[in-house]
Amino acid sequence: MYARAWVRVKSVYDEPLWLLVNIGFPLFTSTGMALLYRSAGLASFSGFAILGGIMMAFWGNVLWGMASQFYWDKQVGIFDIYLVSPASITAILVGMSIGGIFSTAPSAVITAILGWLLFTPPIAPSWLAVILVFTITLISLYAVGMLLSSLYLAYGREGEAVNEALSEPVTMLSGLYFPTLGSTSPFPLALQAVISLIPLTIGMDALRRTVFYSEDLGSIASSLAVLTAMTLVLIFSASRALKILEERGRKEGTLSVRLR
Amino acid sequence: MLRKTILQPTNMPIVETQRLRREFQAKKKVITALEDIDLQVEESVVFGLLGPNGAGKTTLIRILSTLLLPTSGKATVAGFDVAKEPEKIRPLINMASGAERAGYDFITARGNLWFFSQLYGVDSSVANRSIETLSAALRLENYLDSKLYTLSTGYRQRLTIARSLINDPRVVFLDEPTIGLDVMTAKSIREFLVSQAKDQKRTIFIATHNMAETEAICDRVAIIDSGRIVACDSPASLKKNFGAPATVMEVSPPLQSLQAISSVRGVKGATSAIDADRGVARLKLIVDDEGAVKAVGAIVESSGSKVLQSWMQEPSLEEVFISLIGRGFAERESEDAN
Amino acid sequence: MKTLRAIVASAWVGWEREIGWTNPVAGILVRTAPITAAVLTAAMVYWFGSSRVGVFSPERLAFVIVGSSLYAHVGAYAWLPTSAIAEGKWSNVFTHVYITSTSSIPYLFGRGVAAFLSSVPMAVFSLVAAYFFAQGLLGSAPAMTASPASILMLLGALIVDFPAAMGLGFILASHAIIVGKFEWALPTYIAGVLMIFSEALFPASVLPWPLSLIAEALPFTYFIRASRAALIYGSWDLYVSAMVYALPSSLVLLFLGLMVFKWGEKKGRQKGLIDRKVG
Repeated sequence: MYARAWVRVKSVYDEPLWLLVNIGFPLFTSTGMALLYRSAGLASFSGFAILGGIMMAFWGNVLWGMASQFYWDKQVGIFDIYLVSPASITAILVGMSIGGIFSTAPSAVITAILGWLLFTPPIAPSWLAVILVFTITLISLYAVGMLLSSLYLAYGREGEAVNEALSEPVTMLSGLYFPTLGSTSPFPLALQAVISLIPLTIGMDALRRTVFYSEDLGSIASSLAVLTAMTLVLIFSASRALKILEERGRKEGTLSVRLR
Repeated sequence: MLRKTILQPTNMPIVETQRLRREFQAKKKVITALEDIDLQVEESVVFGLLGPNGAGKTTLIRILSTLLLPTSGKATVAGFDVAKEPEKIRPLINMASGAERAGYDFITARGNLWFFSQLYGVDSSVANRSIETLSAALRLENYLDSKLYTLSTGYRQRLTIARSLINDPRVVFLDEPTIGLDVMTAKSIREFLVSQAKDQKRTIFIATHNMAETEAICDRVAIIDSGRIVACDSPASLKKNFGAPATVMEVSPPLQSLQAISSVRGVKGATSAIDADRGVARLKLIVDDEGAVKAVGAIVESSGSKVLQSWMQEPSLEEVFISLIGRGFAERESEDAN
Repeated sequence: MKTLRAIVASAWVGWEREIGWTNPVAGILVRTAPITAAVLTAAMVYWFGSSRVGVFSPERLAFVIVGSSLYAHVGAYAWLPTSAIAEGKWSNVFTHVYITSTSSIPYLFGRGVAAFLSSVPMAVFSLVAAYFFAQGLLGSAPAMTASPASILMLLGALIVDFPAAMGLGFILASHAIIVGKFEWALPTYIAGVLMIFSEALFPASVLPWPLSLIAEALPFTYFIRASRAALIYGSWDLYVSAMVYALPSSLVLLFLGLMVFKWGEKKGRQKGLIDRKVG
C-alpha cells in the first residue's frame, strides 16, 4: 500500500511540470464558471465555482489516475506483477488512492489560492465541519475510483470511453459548480433522489453548506452518516468485484492478456 | 509499375555521404553519433551497414531518410541533398524498422497499405495492384483484411516491409528488418529483399547487427563502429582483406574479463560468447602469432578455468570485425553501456 | 492532386478513428453526453446565478448554450493535430507519414477534416439536447430560433471557423512535435484561455480591460458571435459584421499555424524529435 502510494506521489513530485499540467483544467474551468456567475449578476457566488474547481481536480484524478490505472498497468505488464506479489490488490488500490490524494493536493491548493485571490468570494466556514466533510468526501470519491478501477479491468479499453462519458455528466449532476440538491436545485425531486446516490453530490452539498453558510457538524450529521455508509459499501464492493474478476480471469486465462 | 517512368539507371551513386557528422546534445555533454562518414552506394544492390548496437546505424538511416539533419558534412540520395531538398528525396525512398509496429491498429492491413500509398499520391488502382502483388510476394494475402492488432509479429513485419515498398521506391532503408523473427520467416524476407534489388532494380540499404544476414544477402557491407566507418567492401573482399582464421577455445568456467587476453602480444582481437546451458564460454581469438594462442591458454589455466577444446575457424564477418576493432559486438556494446 | 489524395486518405483514417465504435449508439452517446452535460452545467450556473438576483433572461440562457456548445465543437477538432501526433509518436505512424512525399501537413489537415465532420453533428445534437433539457429542467425555453436561413448561417460560421481552429491546431501540433511528454499540457491551457476569452460563456465586457482586448482579437469570438447572430438574434447585420472579421482572421491564424508548424518540424528534424520514441 505504502509502495504504490509512494510511486504515485514520487512520479508527480519528481516532475514539477506535472503540477502545472494538473492545475490547468480545474483552474480555468473554475475561473470560467466564476466569471459566468459574475456576468449573471451574482459575483458573490464565485466561491461555488472555486470550490467546484478544487473538487474537480480530485474527480479528474479519480477518473484518469485511478479508474483506468489497472487497464494501463495491464497493458505494460505491471498488473501481472501485482497479482503474483503477496500484497492484496485492495491494498494496492488504497495505496493508489492515498498517492492520488497527495499528488492532486497541490493542484487543488493552488486552484483555491488563485481563485480566492482573483475573486475574493465571501466565505463563512465552520472549519471543523469543513475538514471532516472534505476528508470523508475525498475518501468516498476515491472509493468510487476503486470500484471503477475494478470494473474497468473487466471492460478494458472501453473503460477510457466510460471515463470520457462519465466526467462531465457527473460534474453536472453532482453539482460541482451549482447546487443540485435542495430547494435551489434546478432538478426535480426524483432526479435529486437519483443523483444522491453519487457520493460527490452529497459531499459537494455539505461542503457548500459548511464553507459558505457556516453550518456546523450538527446540521450536516445526516450527510456525513450517508457519505460514510456509502464509502464503506463502495470499498467493500470494489474489493468483492476485484476478487470475482480475478477468479474469473484466472479461469479464463485473460488476466495477463494485453488488450488493444 | 509507376517508377519506370522516372528511373533511369545512372553511373552516380544512389546514396552518397561526404564527411557526414552528427552530434547530439545530452545534458552537459556532446555525443558524436556519426563522424566523417564517407559512403557511396550504387543502384540495385543490397547494401549492409553492419555494427553493434549504438554504433550509429540508425542515426545514419534517419539522416538519409530525411528524418534528421546532419550536424555537418553532406549526404545525397539520388543526387539530392538530404538537408536542402528533402521534398525531392521523399518520393524516391521509403523506410521500415523491424522493431516497430508502424500502422493503425483500428484499420486493416490493406487499409494501412492503401493509406500510405495515398500519402505518396499513388493512383488508387495502381496502389491496389501493388498491394496484391506485394502481399502475394510476402505471403500476406490471407491477412490483408485483418485489423493490424490481430496480426502476429511475423505478419506485422511482412506488412511493414510491404508498406516500405508501396510507393515503388528507388531506395529502401531498412533498420533490422528481420529482428525478432523466426528463422524461416527471416529467411523468406531476406530472399524477398534480394529479389527486390535484383529484379526490381531497387537499392536495399539495411542496417543490422546480424552478421550472418549481412553475409548472406549483401552485395556490399560497411562496418561501422563508434560512429565511424571502419571498412567498406563486398563481404568476400572484407574477409579476404581483413579476415583471418579464428582460433576458437571452449573454456570452462567462463572468464570474468577479456582484458588480460586482449593485452597478450600477438592477439589482434578477442571475443567471448557464453553458453549458459553448458557452463562454457566460447573464446574466439584472432592472432598474428601462433605463440599468442599458447600464452592465452596459460592465462586461462592460471585464472582457474580450463580449455576444454580448441579448433580453427574460417573467417566470417565476425572475424573481420574482431580483427578490425579488436573486440566482438558483445564487448563493444558492454563498453558503450559502461 | 497528390495533396488531395493524401487529404482524402487521411480523412478516411480519421473517420475510421472517430466513428470506429463496435456499438455505434454507445459511440454517439459517449461523444455527445459529455458535451451536452458541459453545456448544461454552464446553463445551470447561469440560471442559478441570474435567478437568485432576478435577472434571468431566456436570451442570455441561449447565449450560454450556443457559446458553450460551439466552444466544445472547436475543442473537438482543434486538438486533433496534437492528438494525431501524440498517437503517431506512440504508434510510430508519424515517422512514416513525415517521410512520405506529401509529408505531414495534408495528413493532419485530412484528420482535422474528419474530426470536423464528425464533430458538427455532435455539436448540433448537443445544442438541441441542451435546448430541450434546459427547457424541461428550468421551465423556460432558451431564446433560440432554427430556420433554414439560420441553419445556413450557422453552417457558414462553422466553415469559416475551420481554418482558425486548424491554425490553432497546427500551432499546438508544433509543440507536440518538440515536447517528449505532456503534449496535452499546452492544449489544456489554450482550451482554458479560449473558454474565458472567446465569449463562450459570457460577453467579453465582463473581462477587465485590457484582457477584453484579447477576446476582441480572437477569430473564435467572432465565430461564436456570428453563430449567435444566426441562432439567437436572427440578425443578418450582426452576422455579417462578425463574419467580416472572422474570415480574414481565421485565414491569418491558419497561415500563422502553418508557419509555426513548419518551424516546429524543422526544429524537430534538427534535434531528432520527429521519430522520438514514446510510450
